Amino acid sequence: MAKPEVAQLPQLRAFSFWQFLQNKFKAITVFWFLIVFILVLPIILFLSVAFSPRLLDQGPQWFTLSSFKQVFERYFLTAIVHSFFLGIISAFFATLIALAVAWYVLRTNTPARKIWNLSIFALLLAPSYLIALGWERIFERGGVLNIFGVDLPVIRNLLYGPVGIGMILTFKGIPFAYLVISNAMRGLGEEFEQAVRVHGGSRWDALKTMSTLLLPALWSGIAIVFAESISDFGVASQLSSPGRFSVATFTLYRSVESLPVSFPLCAAISVILLLLVVLALLAQARALRGRSFRVLSGRTRPSQRQNLTLRGKVLSSGGIYLLLFVTLGIPIFGAMSASMIEGLGNLLSNYNINFDNYFRVIKSPLLRNPLYFSAGAAAITATVAVILAAVSSKMLVSTKSGASKKFLDFFLLAAVGLPGIVFAIGYIFAYNLPIAQKYGFHLYGTVALLVLAYIATALPSTTRSLVGNMNQLQESLSEACRVHGSNAIKTWTSVVLPLIARPLLAAWCLTYCGTLLELPVSQILYPPGHAPLAVGIDHSLGNYDFGGGTALEVFAILSALLVVGICFALFEFFAPTGWKQLGKVRA
Amino acid sequence: MKNKTEGHSIKVVGATKNYGTLAALDNFSINVKPGKFTVLLGPSGSGKSTLIRSIAGIEKIDKGSIFLGKSEVNRGPINIAPEKRDLAMVFQDYALWPHLTAFENVGYALKRRKMDSIEGAKRIQEMLERVGLGAKGKNYPHELSGGEQQRVALARAVVARPSLLLFDEPLSNLDADLRERLRVEIATLTRESGATALYITHDQSEAFALADEVGVLRSGKLEQFSTPEDIYQNPTSTFVARFTGLGGSFIGVAVGFAKGVATVQIGKDKITARSTVKIVKDTAVEILLRPTASSLKAATTTRTKNSLPGIVLDTAYRGRGYEHLVETEHGQISGIFDLRQWSRGSRCLVEIDQKSCLAFPAIPS
Repeated sequence: MAKPEVAQLPQLRAFSFWQFLQNKFKAITVFWFLIVFILVLPIILFLSVAFSPRLLDQGPQWFTLSSFKQVFERYFLTAIVHSFFLGIISAFFATLIALAVAWYVLRTNTPARKIWNLSIFALLLAPSYLIALGWERIFERGGVLNIFGVDLPVIRNLLYGPVGIGMILTFKGIPFAYLVISNAMRGLGEEFEQAVRVHGGSRWDALKTMSTLLLPALWSGIAIVFAESISDFGVASQLSSPGRFSVATFTLYRSVESLPVSFPLCAAISVILLLLVVLALLAQARALRGRSFRVLSGRTRPSQRQNLTLRGKVLSSGGIYLLLFVTLGIPIFGAMSASMIEGLGNLLSNYNINFDNYFRVIKSPLLRNPLYFSAGAAAITATVAVILAAVSSKMLVSTKSGASKKFLDFFLLAAVGLPGIVFAIGYIFAYNLPIAQKYGFHLYGTVALLVLAYIATALPSTTRSLVGNMNQLQESLSEACRVHGSNAIKTWTSVVLPLIARPLLAAWCLTYCGTLLELPVSQILYPPGHAPLAVGIDHSLGNYDFGGGTALEVFAILSALLVVGICFALFEFFAPTGWKQLGKVRA
Repeated sequence: MKNKTEGHSIKVVGATKNYGTLAALDNFSINVKPGKFTVLLGPSGSGKSTLIRSIAGIEKIDKGSIFLGKSEVNRGPINIAPEKRDLAMVFQDYALWPHLTAFENVGYALKRRKMDSIEGAKRIQEMLERVGLGAKGKNYPHELSGGEQQRVALARAVVARPSLLLFDEPLSNLDADLRERLRVEIATLTRESGATALYITHDQSEAFALADEVGVLRSGKLEQFSTPEDIYQNPTSTFVARFTGLGGSFIGVAVGFAKGVATVQIGKDKITARSTVKIVKDTAVEILLRPTASSLKAATTTRTKNSLPGIVLDTAYRGRGYEHLVETEHGQISGIFDLRQWSRGSRCLVEIDQKSCLAFPAIPS
């Protein structure tokens, strides 16, 4: 027998302040530094203006609640109440529709599942204002239906009101909720469904049980859609004003636009929006309190697709096609018609269909450069945001990190509730302050500040989209890594990241697409000579080049779809087999 | 196994760990010798999982110290990271990484130790063969049965020859037959490796079958720590006696105590029992019967000193004979073994062996 090996263990050094520092401040310090500077500081500084206008030279008082008094006057209060109910309605319907679609697409052989999988990123990519514009193009006076002699004033009136706004917000919320739910559903083995069926439960009962197990993802979906809806500006800008149905973001925009600008009032409205989001957070926490939803482990078996009857196939496919038609078909038609038809909107025009505008985008640097710039900024934003979101979501589901978890949770959700335009103003405040200049933060008016703002606005929703997946990872998988010789970073790279590789990729694509067409932050923070895509489109439309602007939109969407396609193709080709088989469904 | 590892000793001194107001470990101390197979036995909430996770470095204790060999790896919340402790662990839920094959799961620790890939592959294959999964190296965890998954987890723990092996109730999710087979594999593989093993369970038969030494835990404290034989024969408290297997118990009054033997009046009957603690005359005493303490005689047999009349309530076939449940005037006695089956309802005489009958001062309920 060989001589026994004797392992040498490191000695624990004597307790010292330095060791305490080393113990506490490691790689996570960098993470917290970034969170504070890109998320916490701008939010706090801006929101403080609501209580203390003098702090940022916005008024004489060090402390006042007069801005809130203004908010609770009829005009603003009505808008906030409208936003609240629209948020609830859109969150509920978007999550419900997303759950049904996810179940049909992932758990059945519905023929429409392939087209849905191909379309999902187009849905995510389409900004809410684009969807709203598409619907307007169909039903507006001088629109497509008018051209064909059809006038539907009832539908037009509904569109420019709570029904239309709620509908578009629901459409916009569906892909967010779907991504969260489908990622969680992929990690849910078939044994839970089978357990229901073998104990006498119907398919409907199985769906109800699965919904319960998917609660973290469902609540994440509801929270995301609610927060996105109440902070959405795109739909409000298109449908709120013409219909005279006020919502909070539009009144906020009006306050920023009016002279003199009342920043304390804007901050007060933002605080109210923030409180609404806190309500959503509390509801989510209360619903999930003390319950464990860790279902993904080494023992999880892939689920099996259910074979639908012919009637089931027709109904499910019909439903999905209809959903795609109203959410994608109409906006695409809106953009295409504007880019290819000259004279739309004028009943007396002649209508020529051609591709001249697309050739102009290819040839003109003024039109194509914003696309290149935004593509680069979106790639950087998506990469950094996904890394931070992975760490954040892990912290949010950890059973160990107490106070820091609550702090992070609050700020991430609060940031979702803040409209992009408010965020951008917060950035101007924070990084244009004399103290920032004094300590060398000369970021105002730079590409760096714009990208930091993109990251900060993307981080909350990206984190939320990963929380459901992180929640499914049993902690023992990471613990097993540590006790078998891996440090914390190696544990992440060898186990955590591979297990959530597909959701991470989806999150990257989601963030990339979202940033590519981002409007409010781009509009306020873009540096001279570096117009982002949304600003480029806006400038074109502002210069009455409707054809060029909408052709650029179409190019942007196509380029984003191409990037998404390439990402998933690379994943399918190069990811190890073990990574790909997670969440796979047996045929 | 070709090369043996020298196991680390484990020394825990005054470990305290609280979860809010709940004390999972309460000034806990234990000393485990190198190379020993030690089992910590205790009910849910006794602190055994917290202890093993603290030794692994996954949890941090609030106070106290943990030493592995000569190295202090924990002093209060300051600790050496798990990956630097030269240990491995088998988890209750196996904790196999679903994106890695059985081969890759087993080879994980070797990779971390930067072992030569050819030598490593050879050792992984040997280990898979050793646990009967030589042909299943390419399978993913979900393609393996529960028993196979736990074998992979066992192979993963042993393959890198760590100095300390930790087992967190590894057999609790398996059926009886598989438990027994894997128990044998755990015992042989661990002893072949030479590593110190710390195993936690709430199953006393599993503990006694595996252990060189058994520690019984209760509410975050070590109640007794000794060899399985000593714990079974000389439990130091009613808790340890109850947790390590009882056939029945009676309450009576001590009428005599001499040379470690108590005489207890139970109704009209007198029972003599051993006691590891001092029994005071005329005080309430609880008599605890090990299942092996009792045997059945015909009801017509002349009554001896330690016998009680009873009626057979139930009988269960146990392969080499039958176990019986008997109702006596003072309570029920279970697990009474006999080679022949006594019919239900038949009258009998239960003879109680003084050696397996333990007396403790009764604790007021």
